[in-house]
Amino acid sequence: MKYRITHSTLYHYSQPVGLCQNEARLQPRNVAYQRCEHSHFDINPKPLDLRERTDFFGNRVAYFAIQQAHTQLVVTAISDVTVLPKPNRPEQFSAISWEQVQTWLRETPLSGSGQQAEFSPELFEARQYVLDSPMIPISPDVAQYAQASFVPNRPLVEVVHNLMGRIFNDFTYDPSFTTIATPLADVLKFRRGVCQDFAHLGIACLRAYGLAARYISGYVETLPEPGKARLVGADASHAWFSVYIPDTGWLDFDPTNNTMPLEQHITLAWGRDFADVTPLKGIAFGGGQHTLTVSVDVLRLD
Amino acid sequence: MPNRNHLANDMGTQHYATQLGIYDEMYATENKALPHWERFMAALEAMGSEQLELRRREAQRLLRENGVTYNVYGDAQNLTRPWRLDPVPLLISSEEWAIIEAGLKQRAELMDLILKDLYGPQSLLKKGLLPAELIFGHDGFLHPCVGALPKQQRHLTLYSANLARGPNGRMWVLDDRTQAPSGSGYALENRTVMTRVLPDIFRQTQVRRLSGFFHALQQGLVDIAPHNKEDPRIVVLTPGPLNETYFEHAYLAAQLGFTLVQGGDLTVRDGRVWLKSLAGLQAVDVILRRVDDSFCDPLEMRSSSQLGVAGLLEVVRRGHVAIANPLGSSILENPGLLAFLPRLSRHLLSQELKLPSIATWWCGQRREREFVLKNLDSLVIKPINRSLGNHAVFGGSLSNAEKELLRQQIIAKPHLFIGQEQVSFSTLPAFIDHHIEARNAVLRNFVVASGNEYVVMPGGLTRVARQKDNFVVSNQAGGISKDTWVLAKEPDKPLSIWTQARRPQLLDVASEPLTSRAADNLFWVGRHLERVEATTRLLRTLLQKLREALEFKDSIDTQCLAVLLRTLTQVTGTYPGFVKCADSLLQAPEQELLVLAKDGNRKGSLTANVQAFGQAAFNIRDLWSHDTWRSIDNIQRRWQQRVVNVELGVEQLQKNLDDLLTGIVAFTGLTAESMTREAAWLMLDSGRRLERALALIALLRSSLALRHEEPLQNQVLEAVLVATDSLTIYQRRYRAVLQLPMVLTLLLLDETHPRSLAYQLRELTAHIGVLPRSKGKSPLSEEEAIVLKAYTDLRLCNIQELILATDNAGIYPRLEQLLADTTQLLWRLAEVIAAAYFSHAQTSQLMVQTATEDEL
Repeated sequence: MKYRITHSTLYHYSQPVGLCQNEARLQPRNVAYQRCEHSHFDINPKPLDLRERTDFFGNRVAYFAIQQAHTQLVVTAISDVTVLPKPNRPEQFSAISWEQVQTWLRETPLSGSGQQAEFSPELFEARQYVLDSPMIPISPDVAQYAQASFVPNRPLVEVVHNLMGRIFNDFTYDPSFTTIATPLADVLKFRRGVCQDFAHLGIACLRAYGLAARYISGYVETLPEPGKARLVGADASHAWFSVYIPDTGWLDFDPTNNTMPLEQHITLAWGRDFADVTPLKGIAFGGGQHTLTVSVDVLRLD
Repeated sequence: MPNRNHLANDMGTQHYATQLGIYDEMYATENKALPHWERFMAALEAMGSEQLELRRREAQRLLRENGVTYNVYGDAQNLTRPWRLDPVPLLISSEEWAIIEAGLKQRAELMDLILKDLYGPQSLLKKGLLPAELIFGHDGFLHPCVGALPKQQRHLTLYSANLARGPNGRMWVLDDRTQAPSGSGYALENRTVMTRVLPDIFRQTQVRRLSGFFHALQQGLVDIAPHNKEDPRIVVLTPGPLNETYFEHAYLAAQLGFTLVQGGDLTVRDGRVWLKSLAGLQAVDVILRRVDDSFCDPLEMRSSSQLGVAGLLEVVRRGHVAIANPLGSSILENPGLLAFLPRLSRHLLSQELKLPSIATWWCGQRREREFVLKNLDSLVIKPINRSLGNHAVFGGSLSNAEKELLRQQIIAKPHLFIGQEQVSFSTLPAFIDHHIEARNAVLRNFVVASGNEYVVMPGGLTRVARQKDNFVVSNQAGGISKDTWVLAKEPDKPLSIWTQARRPQLLDVASEPLTSRAADNLFWVGRHLERVEATTRLLRTLLQKLREALEFKDSIDTQCLAVLLRTLTQVTGTYPGFVKCADSLLQAPEQELLVLAKDGNRKGSLTANVQAFGQAAFNIRDLWSHDTWRSIDNIQRRWQQRVVNVELGVEQLQKNLDDLLTGIVAFTGLTAESMTREAAWLMLDSGRRLERALALIALLRSSLALRHEEPLQNQVLEAVLVATDSLTIYQRRYRAVLQLPMVLTLLLLDETHPRSLAYQLRELTAHIGVLPRSKGKSPLSEEEAIVLKAYTDLRLCNIQELILATDNAGIYPRLEQLLADTTQLLWRLAEVIAAAYFSHAQTSQLMVQTATEDEL
């Protein structure tokens, strides 16, 4: 499946901004089932300084600075992405139990000793996603909520499916309730949130049981209701999570839609939590009050 | 059984009691003092305790006068705490120092290699020599900094360690400081003071000098400059005057010849870091940082930080600025690392660790965790991350319930905890309440990468607990510091801090750039000072009139007093005050007058302005000469001690007002005689001139712009002349004829009179004319145009016309109009100057989508 994604952010300021520095993670990375064919920025006013790099987690980052006075800034990223079909039936995956994975993550030496003399980059990477992260502190409350899914000897894939379904059913989707600053504890307490909160919660539940889980930022294609025209720019950023399963690799789960992402999910970036992959952030000097408008368009090309 | 020595004297050294099982610096484990201590103590005893106490007080006086302070967080009222120095130093023999020095050098090398690996290939983690959880679970590991280390021979420029001696007499490392190690400036200041208060003993004892270390520090920072290696611009980045060690930041900047800056003074453009100075942007090559690393770049790290520079890390990545220490180096302060250092030393250096660390067990490993849980009672338990409400606990001092809770926490996240042995530090002699007593001590050492090696300061900062048998030695807890004397085999020649030019040459005068923040503070030092002076003079005049009114019971005196009281309210802006108040207040104003003098919480009061003056001056501590700082300290301290802190009546106030004026004159005299006529002076004096003009106008508007009957008019005229220190000159000029036109001519138009309005405006015009400023297309900058208008309007006025009484409104409308217009122009001038020159004041904001849009 081929898509053209247009992600546009408009800042409007009540007073001029003399200088702003920005960091954008808006260019899709290449992953096993996804190829970014082409991606470019259209920024106005034009930044005099723009530099791209790869961050610690392997995401594409662009740093840019607007050094002339401006009262409006538009940042648009346009990307063409091909998403390949993925295997999606649980029976295709490893039947390894969650306890086995937990032990494997904890006990396996990275290299050097015993039979496994080869350094395992996969294990090294996975271990980093077991630990608490700034936006996902693991509390006893989280572990308690997760417990019902962690039936002894259950295969990990089944555990995660069950967990995803419970989050989908137990929590109300409510954009008016949370902002990016809402702590996970509040989400759990009031049983409300948006995609980002549900992804954080899923990750927290898995990490509470010593498993490796990471946060994915991206997009999902929305199909118009039958008989209605497709609305351009009405899409939005999306988020879900991924869990590490030995010998299988990372498997994605979307608790907001209670589904395993297939060809309609486009991955932008991943990290320990939202803070690692904020699509666009900036520090502006001056500016007074600012308003911000985002429009996202996920257009199917074939 | 306590160990007692046999010297009889009045210091009580014969009762110097060491504790069983604890090593003592003077006695080691013997019954007799070590030879180098014996000589030193004999000299002290010859001096006697009374004399030593005098020297101790002299040291405290010097420290206070030099402004050596240590700020205590959460103590806004009493912001700065004087630095305390014990006159008995720690003595270290040259043989022992050789061992410590070698150990510190080795440890700095080791730390440097670990840092390089963790932010580079991470092979220590991949090979399992360091557990990944210990590193990735520590707040000091900053993901954005991976791969951002510059190409340098050594990355860890500064290293510092806290050392203490264990019961076996060996020195142990308690912890490593790599973030932004503090204390070297205090150590230098301690030394400076000690050589002044114990000059004889210092001279007789061959003590190693500290200047070599600071020379190495200067060189080390030059070494890492990516550009301009010949003459790099180096800045000291401080969180600001509220930081606990701000004194040291200012002190080091001044000593080493670097510019002291806060985050707002720097900006990132075109991939470089720039200093916002009055003369425009100047490229920065090296940053000596005293801001914690995660606060240094709000774009990539803590977005809420106002202490850093947005985009800084990107500049580091491009190799256009060097930071000492590099961002991310706080990972090395992770106490869990202590458990792995012996192994890392063998792996990275092929050497055994020369200085052992305090015994440490990291709970992330099963065997170590079980040991810690089994021995909770006898260990100190520390979280690897230091944060609020998250500190070391002595397992043995916990209740059963607390212990169980701690056990649960360790089991839930074992990689976040360590257990450490409880150590009994050695004791050493300290002079406490006229007696020599044994106190537990910790020694902080300082190491800097310079040239091809690490250089260790031969000395350091020794700190002792104030209380006996107290192992918690910290400045926040009110500890006492000591100088540290490393004994030399041969006399150590002091090294000049001046750089030797390779060949004789005449260097260009590089006038130090004035940061916009410093300019702002100078401007306000001038303004607050002038407010203090105007209020003081008026208050003094008023108290004189009050005395006369009470004595002679003349109604004219009473009326004049009322005019002056209302004027005081107008000049100080302390409404409602005496304006629109009951007659009773005008007749008995003493209480309100005392409040206006004393109450620091009352905006516009003398105390409030004295404090604001002191704070603004402290903010730019590094810019003042030694004597000037002393005069600033004098003004504040005397006012605080003699007026604010005591009960006093209006009679005693008069004398203190005279004293305050003397203090102000000392400051203005010193600045006038010692400051070069460059940007700093222009800012200071512009602030003064502006405020003096405003105060004079406020005074005239509520006194002479009002029409009074003849006898009252005479009294008011005289009072105005007294309050502006112009009576004598008036009398010399006009003899005994007291008349409004002549008084106005003197105070408004006479450009030869330093207290006239015309004089202030002329000076302001001159200052503003030479301030660096791009004017754009117009021939005059906005501030030049404003001051020119005010000055011209004044010069064009005709005094006789100003005092034409056009109606019966009780005022001189034209005079009032001129004064009101001038006030408006001056206020606007202050705004324009702030906008043009104080660019650091512009606040930054985070732009990020706060509400997540989403879809189902």
